[in-house]
Amino acid sequence: MATESDRWQPTDVELVNQTRAGDHSAFHELMDRHAPTLFALAVALSGHAADAEDIVQETFAGAFRGLGAFQGRATVKTWLTRILIRQTARHHRAARKRKTTLVSLTETSHSDAWRPSPQSAADARMDVTAAIKTLGPEHQEVVLLREIQGLSYEEMAEILEIPRGTVESRLFRARRELQKRLKEYLD
Amino acid sequence: MTDCGQADRLSAYYDGEIPEPERAALEAHIRGCPLCAVEMARLQRLSRLIGSTGRMEMSPQALERLHQSFDLQPRIALLHMAEVFASVAASILIVSGVWLWMISTANEAAGQIPVWETVAVAPQDPSGAAAQEQLAQWIIQDLSRKNGHD
Repeated sequence: MATESDRWQPTDVELVNQTRAGDHSAFHELMDRHAPTLFALAVALSGHAADAEDIVQETFAGAFRGLGAFQGRATVKTWLTRILIRQTARHHRAARKRKTTLVSLTETSHSDAWRPSPQSAADARMDVTAAIKTLGPEHQEVVLLREIQGLSYEEMAEILEIPRGTVESRLFRARRELQKRLKEYLD
Repeated sequence: MTDCGQADRLSAYYDGEIPEPERAALEAHIRGCPLCAVEMARLQRLSRLIGSTGRMEMSPQALERLHQSFDLQPRIALLHMAEVFASVAASILIVSGVWLWMISTANEAAGQIPVWETVAVAPQDPSGAAAQEQLAQWIIQDLSRKNGHD
């Protein structure tokens, strides 16, 4: 007897092609598949759930507009992640322009006054988020693309448009820094 | 972090990004190096920590809002298409108008006879013929006087 898991599942590329052919339900399927991890990545990159939601919406809107340009050389996941990274950068630029008197969470977490204080899961979440925010943007990106999106070095190199060796060295340095910052959780 | 010379390769090894010949050598090294073994365990704990605490789940409501935002897309696309068509139609009107104006101007210009053509095809001045006849009369009269016909 056929089970739910035995049913044929279209690949991401097939869903893209179906969407191009006018089947919008295929694009909804792509959203269901990729939105959760893209959202997690957007939250980690932007630091705000509300911003992350906007970024993910803009990412899928941009992907839909750019369906014609997708040639299938990269995976759909890599393609969507690349769009999300650019949308996040755009959001950061817009937020920097808006930020005049407001002191953002990001600014606070960049300060040297930050210290981990492992007391609860909520504290741990805040500490991990803050520790990641102490990294430079380039190191944040590789850590999050690897740990949250689970991308390979090759995929990250393609998305960030940097050599694979640079991905490896950035990730090594980022992890070394995080180990220092989160020592109390790791020993 | 370990002071072992292989430490900088452990991150990539942990990610499964070391190609096979080197991977086997590194595995053998880790088995015999307590510092690297500890480092591997720390890398694993760091991944779990980020994975469990640094990852925020998308709520079903947020996912629903995302789907709804996409459902508005076709309408937005239609509006964009309408804007594009309106722009194209306006451009065609302007270009056609300019083209028609240029054609009518050219026709008007063609309707005017150029000066050279007027001169070239104009009939000879009748007053010129009269002048020649007058001149002939004067010559006859003059010859008649000289011959004493008066």
